[in-house]
Amino acid sequence: MRDVAVIGVGMHPWGKFPDSSITQMCRQAVEAALEDAGAEWPDVQAVSAGSSRFSGGKGWGLNGNDVVEDMGPTGVPVYNLSAGCAAGGNAFDIGHMLVSSGMYNMVLVVGGEKMPKGMIQLSGVDEETDPEYLRQIAVGMPGPAFWALLCRRRMAEHGTTEEQLADIAVKAHQISVHNQNARFRKEFTQEDVLNSALVSDPLHLYEICPVSDGAAAAILCSAEEARKRTTDPIWVAASAVATAQFDDGIPRGLASPAPADGHAYHSEALLAVESCYEKAGVSPKDVDLVELQDNTVYYELAFPEEWGLCEPGEAESLLERGETLPTGKLPINPSGGFLCFGEATTAMGMFQVCELTWQLRGQAGARQVPDAKIGLGQTLGLGSNASAVILKR
Amino acid sequence: MTTTKRVPVTEGLFEETAGGARLLGSRCATCNSTYFPKSPVCHNPKCNGSAVEDASFGPLGKLWSYSVQHYAPPPPAKFDEPYEPYTLGLVDLPEGLRVLGRMSTDNPNSLEVGMNVELVIERIHGDDDGNDVVSWMFRPA
Ligand SMILES: [Zn+2]
Repeated sequence: MRDVAVIGVGMHPWGKFPDSSITQMCRQAVEAALEDAGAEWPDVQAVSAGSSRFSGGKGWGLNGNDVVEDMGPTGVPVYNLSAGCAAGGNAFDIGHMLVSSGMYNMVLVVGGEKMPKGMIQLSGVDEETDPEYLRQIAVGMPGPAFWALLCRRRMAEHGTTEEQLADIAVKAHQISVHNQNARFRKEFTQEDVLNSALVSDPLHLYEICPVSDGAAAAILCSAEEARKRTTDPIWVAASAVATAQFDDGIPRGLASPAPADGHAYHSEALLAVESCYEKAGVSPKDVDLVELQDNTVYYELAFPEEWGLCEPGEAESLLERGETLPTGKLPINPSGGFLCFGEATTAMGMFQVCELTWQLRGQAGARQVPDAKIGLGQTLGLGSNASAVILKR
Repeated sequence: MTTTKRVPVTEGLFEETAGGARLLGSRCATCNSTYFPKSPVCHNPKCNGSAVEDASFGPLGKLWSYSVQHYAPPPPAKFDEPYEPYTLGLVDLPEGLRVLGRMSTDNPNSLEVGMNVELVIERIHGDDDGNDVVSWMFRPA
């Protein structure tokens, strides 16, 4: 397999943009990525795109085709990848493969999404054979409840306090004031967070990510192509996707196997991350920064422990000592994360590739992780999909 | 005089017996993996068999976690207007299942992770004909 470089990244700011179409938002991200790469649209030999559930794509998730039609039809091959909130990461994995395999020398990966207002219904299937549909009519479980159940369990197991949960949101917003692409760029106090509305107890409004519109893109190319265009490219050390294992204890549908030890962890995320460690020859202690999918503050505690980045039960003390800030020992979400950007579901994996690239280049300004060399990104989506990526300079 | 009927939210998921409420599911004849709702086959990748038989589960379990829902869930979930917060529970059954259900409790503050709970069949909302739509729930045992 050939080495693959990220030579250009671009992002449309995240937030609510009622006057912009998903096509316009993707175009802004793609044009920025092309410019960053010093490339022209006709140089792109293949497109790998996240399939949106909520916008564009002709109702078939053909979002890559929308981008090609808008940028100008060149006959370029398009791969549309559907993986829930992991679609952007999934598209990146395929884009990476298209270049590493030697099939193409330059590939565009893009994810864009415009989200409907309010809480979203996860599944699009209204049939009793669909476990998500059945779960909604027989029990009634709003999305945040899933995270709340995991979080409450952690509080019982590790003594995590409501104040510590709030401090994760405080930390995120402390960083996001320095990110011009963030939707929320306002500092919160612990009190502000705890006084925000309880959504699914113990989680407050400011402790879960809202839905946003957003788009992000990257240009991947072969080492040979990269050397023509830049002296210091960012390299894809590894990319992986995975799905869940049978008995990881995560509540999916109405019931799932209950591990005898009472544990629950996202096996799909762990498998993708571990696969990246192995492919990249990187151990958790080598990782300089992490962009993880913080749909809720809970994941910022659970994931680093599950992935061996810190010891089980250590996440709270790392947080309290400021070690998860960009200047700390284990910087987590130096972008501000999805707590501050909101989730534009199928763009999320590409959002992380952009942030990791800026950090590794040293272009992250006031949120820069000092001397960042190796960065890990991860997404998680419906259908037990997960993606992970390790970039290095 | 009218009588309020109890209408199950969907058929074939639960039953009320003399010994308490039961969830209706399946058990693999080969590896004993359990499923709720019923599954036509065993999904355990380590299992060589696939034949399953009907099985029922409950009423006792341990509360794995819980959460009070302060906002109304989006459709297709239904509830009585105006929306009143309800509590969700995740319960480990001794038959090897981690089951989601509503909690039957007036006082969510009294719930504790790890406590014993039992399965009950209770009203989750009304329907247009004035009937009680019932589903499975868990209450502290
Ligand atoms: Zn089996």
